[in-house]
Amino acid sequence: MTFLRCGAGLVAVMFAGAGTAWSQTPAAAGRIKISSGQASIVREGKEVPAKAGELVYQADVLKTGADGRLGVTLRDESQISLGPTSEVRVDRFVYAPAEGNLGMALRIARGIVAYVSGRIAKLAPDAVRLETPAAIVGVRGTRLVIQAGSQAPAAATQTKTRKS
Amino acid sequence: MTRTRQAAVPCAVLSAGVALLVLAAACGPKRVAEPPTPTDLIVLLPGEDPNATGRVTVSSRAGQTVELDGERESTKVAANKPPTPPATLDKAEVDRIFGDTIKTLPPEPHHFQLYFRFESDELTDESRALVPEILRLVGERPFPDVTIVGHTDTTGTSKSNHDLGLKRATTIRNWLVARGLEARLVEVASHGEADLLVPTADNTAEPRNRRVEISVR
Repeated sequence: MTFLRCGAGLVAVMFAGAGTAWSQTPAAAGRIKISSGQASIVREGKEVPAKAGELVYQADVLKTGADGRLGVTLRDESQISLGPTSEVRVDRFVYAPAEGNLGMALRIARGIVAYVSGRIAKLAPDAVRLETPAAIVGVRGTRLVIQAGSQAPAAATQTKTRKS
Repeated sequence: MTRTRQAAVPCAVLSAGVALLVLAAACGPKRVAEPPTPTDLIVLLPGEDPNATGRVTVSSRAGQTVELDGERESTKVAANKPPTPPATLDKAEVDRIFGDTIKTLPPEPHHFQLYFRFESDELTDESRALVPEILRLVGERPFPDVTIVGHTDTTGTSKSNHDLGLKRATTIRNWLVARGLEARLVEVASHGEADLLVPTADNTAEPRNRRVEISVR
């Protein structure tokens, strides 16, 4: 926690120092670039529409409905997309390379997600962590896809289940 | 889908679950099958550089770990079970499950390196020539973000280099804004001497490290 708060503080100092008209108090983690169908952000208990152009913050939950899709680019250039009926929480996002503060954790509660790693995975691979209901995924600079909490019949590679 | 249907099932029916299961087993393939255990499927895809597929480790909550390092290698994890041994998914299967979601990934971020003339805050001619390309790319993207980061070599203190990096980045920002870049899209930062392009010892003059990186995403 201390580390987190400290990281956010340093980011804020960094931008204050830049003297830009940067007004968001906590630094945004990223931005929604693509949105279609039913999609929302749950932030501090409130649900708001996840329109393209909206900023995404640490602790936000991204959710899509049965026809929804979202494409998000984070500040470290990592990219995430959500298919229908999916839910991802940005558990942690710290990107302050000058101070050596880097960390990212996404919790994929359900649905279908594609992920392309960004600068954090390059600079500090151990600092990136994706969680699904049953697994923890460590990333070493890569692209991957995850289907979380699937109750669908087994996909191709699994041994065939008996049919009577 | 399954979940919704289950939620709609009245409690009474659920409490008679055992009876139902027996019934289902007896009647062969029926809708009311034994609910499959929720399973997570993780698949590694080739990266942008086809020769550099990355690597992921997948661990169960109990700590058993499997490593994926080949194209379309996959593993499945169910609650309280170890990850299944890596198995390659065929391309059609990846497309079927993930194709539309992969297509929803935003455009790849794009980078530019700009260099200054020696001992000056004037850009080199080559760097100036990149400007139309930068503006075009920003114009093409949905809801673009631009980050301008100043970098220095290791000559001087890290504090002075942080300030110098910031000064360089701000110079470029103002210069690009004067040429049509929308100011509100731009974030300026300095990594000082902390993010060298060419690794060197401390207090080493290295022109390639004195740069400004622009990332358009």
